[in-house]
Amino acid sequence: MIAVIGCLIILLLLQVITPFWWWIMLVPFAYGFGFSRTGGRAIGTGFASAGLLWFGAAVYSFLSGSRIITHRIAAMFGLENSWLLILATGLIAAVAAAVSGYAGFAVRALVKRNDAADEKKS
Amino acid sequence: MKWTRAVLSLLLSGVVFWAANRQHGVVPPPGKILNPFAGFWTNGERSDAPPERLSLPGLEAEVRVAWDERRVPHIFAANDHDLYFAQGFLTARDRLWQMDFQVRFAGGRLAEVIGERGLSLDRFNRRFGMIMAAENALRALETDPGARRAIEAYTAGVNAHIRSLGRRSYPVEFKLLDYVPEPWTLLKCALLLKYMAYDLAGKSSDPAWTEMKQALGEAAVDRLFPYDEPLVDPIIPPGTKWDFTPNPAPPVPAAPDSPDQNGRATLATSDETVKGKGSNNWALAGTRTRSGNPILCNDPHLALNLPSIWYEIQLAAPGVNSAGVSLPGAPFVIIGHNGRIAWGLTNAGSDVLDWYAIRFKDKSRSEYWYDGAWLKSEIRTETIKVRNGRDVVERIVLTRHGPIVRFEEDPPFKEKDIPAGAALRWVAHDESEDLETFYALNRAESYEDWLKAIASWSCPAQNFVYADAAGAIAIRHNGRFPLRWKGQGRFLLDGSNPAHDWRGWVPRDHVPAIKNPERGFVSSANQKPADSSYPYYLGSDYLQFERGARINELLAGMTDVTPGDMIRMQNDAFNLRARTVLPAILPYLRKGELNGVERTCLAEIESWNCENLAGLTAPTVFDRFWSEFNAKTWDDEKVRPMKSMPWPASHVLIDLVLHHPDDAFFDDRTTSGREGLAEIAFLAFRSAVGGLEKALGPPGPAWTWGRWKGTDIQHLAQIPGFGRTRLRTNGAGYIINASARTKGPSWRMVVELGPEVKAWGIIPGGQSGNPGSRFYDNGVDDWVAGRIYELVFLKSPDEANEKIIARTTLGGAK
Repeated sequence: MIAVIGCLIILLLLQVITPFWWWIMLVPFAYGFGFSRTGGRAIGTGFASAGLLWFGAAVYSFLSGSRIITHRIAAMFGLENSWLLILATGLIAAVAAAVSGYAGFAVRALVKRNDAADEKKS
Repeated sequence: MKWTRAVLSLLLSGVVFWAANRQHGVVPPPGKILNPFAGFWTNGERSDAPPERLSLPGLEAEVRVAWDERRVPHIFAANDHDLYFAQGFLTARDRLWQMDFQVRFAGGRLAEVIGERGLSLDRFNRRFGMIMAAENALRALETDPGARRAIEAYTAGVNAHIRSLGRRSYPVEFKLLDYVPEPWTLLKCALLLKYMAYDLAGKSSDPAWTEMKQALGEAAVDRLFPYDEPLVDPIIPPGTKWDFTPNPAPPVPAAPDSPDQNGRATLATSDETVKGKGSNNWALAGTRTRSGNPILCNDPHLALNLPSIWYEIQLAAPGVNSAGVSLPGAPFVIIGHNGRIAWGLTNAGSDVLDWYAIRFKDKSRSEYWYDGAWLKSEIRTETIKVRNGRDVVERIVLTRHGPIVRFEEDPPFKEKDIPAGAALRWVAHDESEDLETFYALNRAESYEDWLKAIASWSCPAQNFVYADAAGAIAIRHNGRFPLRWKGQGRFLLDGSNPAHDWRGWVPRDHVPAIKNPERGFVSSANQKPADSSYPYYLGSDYLQFERGARINELLAGMTDVTPGDMIRMQNDAFNLRARTVLPAILPYLRKGELNGVERTCLAEIESWNCENLAGLTAPTVFDRFWSEFNAKTWDDEKVRPMKSMPWPASHVLIDLVLHHPDDAFFDDRTTSGREGLAEIAFLAFRSAVGGLEKALGPPGPAWTWGRWKGTDIQHLAQIPGFGRTRLRTNGAGYIINASARTKGPSWRMVVELGPEVKAWGIIPGGQSGNPGSRFYDNGVDDWVAGRIYELVFLKSPDEANEKIIARTTLGGAK
């Protein structure tokens, strides 16, 4: 839970300061690499933090003056309901973050073994 | 195992990143576009509220802006520089993407943004000489200090806005098409005007008529596309005396027009309708109006898109206070009024574009035959950048006539009728001072000022209409017209024969024009400008007779006219074609031989009052009938090598029906028997109804005109969900309310002059170019309904006006 909140706050800061979308892949990757003890956690933390952030931010944006544009973009994607687009936004962020979070964890697992091997040698 | 897991999960992450970060065909990059912090979400309605104060480095003094309830800016500046700087800045604030995209199109740079898909169009615009034309226009501008300084200030204003943007605030289309704005330039202002020139004066019937002449003979062309068109009521009232001694026309060469045996131009016709876009304008003298003041009306019919082609604006500085519509991408008010005069435009349609067959020495095309010698071609290379592809270097071959647009080995350009191997001679390529016209028009206070202003206008030639507070009205068929022998340029010309060159110009004070005519009104609707007494040959490819004749018929019968009458008249849906031809057709529709549905349809048109109203079925039936009737009359005339048979204008067919019902054109050449008008009309009616039944099922709501025709206002880049489609409009292209499927009245304006000028107007869209704004399409429904808004015209920035809802001060950086 703390991990999710931590990731969410870091993501929020980075996203407000910079216009790049891919923080939602990079931050979960870093968490998976540096902090997560299990693969499941890496996935869950990425999924929840990025998914909640994008879903929440999309809802906020929609309600605070982006109704028309959301409606048009939804129509562009062939969606009749704007809320489907809001949901999709959260979901896409969640999945992208989960995938990269796990990748961070898996790469870390490799490096760990190599660290151990290095120690043995010395 | 660990390795596999790491590699696979990294790979999967890579794929997800790749998929989310790039375009997929027309689908925008999902990660970028859906990012709630920088994607489309930040293009909401928040940008609608004008700021109270903005610091703008580059301004010389403070600029005050008052915004009315439809978000039209009323700009008050201390000097010309600041005025056009502010116009550029505020226009870009609302319309930056549209400005960028339009000149990208004109300059052949679409492929940079949309990749291979744009290449053919880019190549076409490069070869058509669009960039060359814009460069020449800029060169000529050096001599017009007023216009030059204005476009420099405008450009600086646009760039001040672009510099103020972060990625988040880019217009949403940049995000969707995944590219970024680039600095505005003077060349882009010039390109925009060339875009209009191409749109209004960039097509010709020469290739189709040449093909027809080769197959059916010149007499057939002259009969079906006559010099003296029946039924047409010209712009200048017949019988008007010409107050000038005409210059002699160039001598007719021995064998005029025959594409020289050396010339190898080959033809390809396509389905593109070669007719230009239409418009209405008229002005009434005080003798016909209730107030005793002149009234001027204008509605230009252009391709309808969102964002709207026009941007409403008021521009005031010492020496100028004008209001009306501007073109995003160029300074000034283009159609509008000031305190003293009002002006409007319709397309002239006179011939300013010819094709010359060229014989090259060899495949390198570096030399061509002219006047008994080989001349060197000029080669101009332009590079087209292609997104995700290799650069394409275009080798543009220029002759003394102009560029070769299509080589023999090229496939035809889609929807363009370009003769292969021919050189394009086009007035819009020449140096011209078009922008100076609007600089001066905005400041004109009298008939003499107006005359002087429009004398520098070159292309696209327009019917300039005028009215002033002193009571004068006038109209001029105005532009740069080549001096021609009668018929020169109807067909492909011989590029090797100097006698076929353009030899000088029609003097500007000899163009068809009239001031304060006895009948108390002037008007134009793209028809032939003058009757056969006019001494110059200007062209023979004008629009059909209906709108012009209907306007004149209505105005001639009107007295005590109010602006309200004029607003109603702009929405007139009366179908003059139907009224003229139906009485002669109905007797041939033999009721006894018709089936049930056909009889219902016949009853509809028999009881029809000839109005093309959205809720009626009769206009649909008539429209289909007319199409079938044309097809059955003309299509069988086609012989090889014609690829298609161009349909003559409606007034030619109606003239045949009314005055030559036994003409052989009504015989169907594909049958052994001899058909006549009676049989062709009957068959056309049956197949019209049959076709509708097949497409729409039994008669019902789907058959009504508003649904069958409908009007679509698509987004400029055709982005689904960004347009307004299936609008149930009254009218048709040849009716005063010229709302067609994709074209229509792009600005309706009514101005009453007098001590206090009053104006009304509407665009089928809105001020904002942001699809996420309330002001993107807020005029559409009222436009469909035929409503119009009273326009705000302020005398000072602080003037109290209940329609002013916000004020902004733009300050220079100290």
